[in-house]
Amino acid sequence: MSSETSTESQFSGDLQSSGSESLRPWQLFTLAGLIGATITVFLSRGQSPAAVVLLSLTVFAAAAVGIAALRTVMPLTSKATPDTTQVLGGRTRAVLERDKGLVLRSIKELEFDRAMGKVSDKDFAEMSARLRGRAARLIRQLDAGAGYREQIEREIEKRLGKTPAPVAGLCPSCATKNDADARFCKGCGKAMERQS
Amino acid sequence: MASLGYYLLLAAFVVAAYAAAISVGGARRRSRALTESGIGAFYLVTAIMAAASAVIVYAFVTGDYSIKYVQRYSDSTQPLFYKLTSYWGGLDGSIMFWVSLLSAFGATAVYINRERHRELIPYVVAVISVVEMFFLFLMIVHNNPFSTYLTQNPSDGAGLNPLLQNFYMVIHPPTMYLGFVGLTIPYAFGMAALITGYLDDSWLRAVRRWTMISWLFLSIGLGLGMIWAYEELGWGGYWMWDPVENAGLLPWFTATAFLHSVMVQERRGMLRVWNVSLVITTFFLTLFGTFMTRSGIVQSVHSFGQDPVLTQLFTSFMVGMLVISFGFVIYRLPLLQARNELDSWLSREAAFMYNNWILLFSAFFVLFATMFPTLSEAITKQRITVAAPFFNQWMIPIGLTMLLLTGIGPLLAWRRSTVENLRTQFLIPTLCGLVLGGIVVALGIPFWSAGLCFAFSGFVLGTISQEFWRGARVRQQTSGTDMFTALIGLVGRNKRRYGGYLVHVGIVLMFLGFAGEGLKEHETLSMNPGQQVKVGDYTIQHDRIRVTDDGRKQMVTAEITVLKDGAELTKMYPARWFFRKHEDQPTTEVAIRRTLAEDLYVVMPQFDAGQQSANLEITVTPLVNWVWLGFGVLALGTLIAVLPETAFAFASARVPEAVKAATASMILLAIVTPAAVQAQDGGGRVVKSQAQRSLEDRVICQCGGSGCVRATLTNCNMRPVCHGHTALTAEIKSLLDEGKDVDQVLASFVAKYGQAILAVPENKGFNMLAWGLPYVLGALGLVTILLTARRWSRPAAAVAGGGDTQIDPSLDARLDDELRNLD
Repeated sequence: MSSETSTESQFSGDLQSSGSESLRPWQLFTLAGLIGATITVFLSRGQSPAAVVLLSLTVFAAAAVGIAALRTVMPLTSKATPDTTQVLGGRTRAVLERDKGLVLRSIKELEFDRAMGKVSDKDFAEMSARLRGRAARLIRQLDAGAGYREQIEREIEKRLGKTPAPVAGLCPSCATKNDADARFCKGCGKAMERQS
Repeated sequence: MASLGYYLLLAAFVVAAYAAAISVGGARRRSRALTESGIGAFYLVTAIMAAASAVIVYAFVTGDYSIKYVQRYSDSTQPLFYKLTSYWGGLDGSIMFWVSLLSAFGATAVYINRERHRELIPYVVAVISVVEMFFLFLMIVHNNPFSTYLTQNPSDGAGLNPLLQNFYMVIHPPTMYLGFVGLTIPYAFGMAALITGYLDDSWLRAVRRWTMISWLFLSIGLGLGMIWAYEELGWGGYWMWDPVENAGLLPWFTATAFLHSVMVQERRGMLRVWNVSLVITTFFLTLFGTFMTRSGIVQSVHSFGQDPVLTQLFTSFMVGMLVISFGFVIYRLPLLQARNELDSWLSREAAFMYNNWILLFSAFFVLFATMFPTLSEAITKQRITVAAPFFNQWMIPIGLTMLLLTGIGPLLAWRRSTVENLRTQFLIPTLCGLVLGGIVVALGIPFWSAGLCFAFSGFVLGTISQEFWRGARVRQQTSGTDMFTALIGLVGRNKRRYGGYLVHVGIVLMFLGFAGEGLKEHETLSMNPGQQVKVGDYTIQHDRIRVTDDGRKQMVTAEITVLKDGAELTKMYPARWFFRKHEDQPTTEVAIRRTLAEDLYVVMPQFDAGQQSANLEITVTPLVNWVWLGFGVLALGTLIAVLPETAFAFASARVPEAVKAATASMILLAIVTPAAVQAQDGGGRVVKSQAQRSLEDRVICQCGGSGCVRATLTNCNMRPVCHGHTALTAEIKSLLDEGKDVDQVLASFVAKYGQAILAVPENKGFNMLAWGLPYVLGALGLVTILLTARRWSRPAAAVAGGGDTQIDPSLDARLDDELRNLD
């Protein structure tokens, strides 16, 4: 489910990845915590081990307070960027995928119930038909969503009179977007042309 | 240190307020920045609470007795372990501990769900923050754990209550709290769904696992409390319907009901208002439980004393919470409308409704009976007592019904069960029940209630085995593996269902243990060294009394030899410990010899070190350990149910791989074998003056000692050193010797001591309410269910013919493909 990754938050990423070269905030605070704890241990030499450990824990908690405080303030100062969630007809793709999974599982369970002799054949036929209808609808929705953008792009290119430049991971025969390193298309099953 | 801690609490309050305000603001203005800042602040509360906790534990470890709380609940001689756990030994600290746990739990829940349920998260943060704010407010204005002595710092602490210096007491409160605190998460998500109006099933999916985890903690907490009572209080039982025990049980009932009815909503989209209400009720009951313990409105072993300010604060918070929550439910009623339809009275949906009815009724009954003395005192100004016998009278039939439903529910199909279905499904379980019940009754166990309990247990076990067996067979046929791999694959693919069945097995084991409770034998003996007495199958011989001291406490230990059939079985050492500074509260150290069939339980309430003689109370309780075993199985089942989807993936291989199959079989054997060890029944019964026993069961001990509130004479844990106990038993004996019967004795007791002496209130005047109301409400509930079901049911003819059922063949083939791959 590659769509899950597309809903990743930019903010949660901020703390980890603001400038890969420089010291990241959480590293700074961990370091501060470690230094603080070392100093505390040094200063409280006379005390019992349990007390020293607790003091160090307090220092680490203080470091955590620092990280969390930064986490509170950062979103307010950083520039807000628009939401990057991929939306299909008002619902995110992830939701559709999950719904499909649920319906498929329900069908499975129903078949299982019948095999266990709990559901009469008539009921089974009716319920199964309804669930399958729902699953088919979801699959169709998902299929449609996956192809739209690529189809539109190809249309535009065609009108502009250019030959479509092969996009990484785009199936040449059905325009389904696949992972970049896919060898076969997940939509039509045909072999993909490998890009160098 | 103390002022640092106090400032941390203040800071936590401010930050929680900020988190609540800014996340609501962020959600309303659709500003991601504000919402994210709110989440950050929410984490910040957790960090601050961690720091504050570290500070107070540090104060305990270093013995900073200028802090009142530290001074009151620890002393310098305490081992480190108990110093750490003194944190939650008293009221103020336990509130703080509560907030810390809530913030940690809440932060985890928010962290996990922040992307998946982005629309709900701001309100989840706000709701949890408001709850945190309430408890922080309590601490800041009223129960500050960091308050210090203004002058004259004491040089040493008063020490933790000796009853609490016990391993189970160390882990019991945190587990209970985790359960209680965890149930705040479903409430927060439910409220967020109500506020935002995103009332599809997504919030249910978010909270299902959290509810299960909290439920697990709550169950284990209750179990640990029972073990603690059994091992530490020394009256031979484990549950006496103490208000605080009940407080833990109330949300357990409603959470169980929720875990069941949530399945109906997932499968059928029904009962949506009901589920939201259950979540709110559960949260309310956790608050109410805390309130009952902390404010002292009911008498209990656990209570910390009367506190009117706390009562007011708590009451206003609870009322506010109820009004706002249900206000939102009513406001969102249009969105909660569901297509409720019931095809048949004999369907899984209907079974879940009966299940909810019985669970809710239990919750209501326990709540009502717990609060009845308070209610009665407020209205009639007469103190009465509602103790264990009253609860047992009611809860035995309720419990049995619940057990029976546990067996019936899984056998019914969703929507409709035909007669044919019923025959094939019920045949084996019913036979199991009849056979087990028959055997047990033939062995001489009374039909009501123990025999019936065995029969129902047999029925439920039959149901569950049949489910596992048939399921595994179906899977074996489709996958072609061997039986064991199929069984594990079955559980792996359907963890919630089969984990749930395992939980049911745990419940059955517990019920077997409860049935054993009704069959116990009890003897009180006074013995000199060398004397022998026969109790049940055992011969008890008192050897001597030993007095030792380990610096913290003086220990008086009796040495006892237990013989069976003339051969020495074991030695047992019941004792009493006198902790320094708490000499007036000696603890009872119980000696227990455990077997699967029965426990030999020896207590030494009284001794004479000079004469080397001891009073011994010996109880033989059959099947107690099955209760603990049941809790273990329940925990295992719940863990399987909450495991992530990918667990057990190894067993989903379709072609049998010899190695895997072999290991799988071995794992299963290892699990199954210990459970299948001996299950023999205890022997004959010793009958003791029936009238005396029944009176001791029905009269409340008047000693008023700490730890002896609302206990009957048989259960009073101070006995028989307790002056009240000795006097009352002597009085009963003399009255009986005068030739009076049980009722006459009770009447004279009421005349002398007032209504409060009766464990079961008399059925007259205002008290008739206690007897009548549960009946009325139970019936009312049932009628409501029947009426609702009637409204929802539709004629069978209308069932056929769904809407769009035409799927084009290519899609159909693809669907089949995906279904096959799902395995």
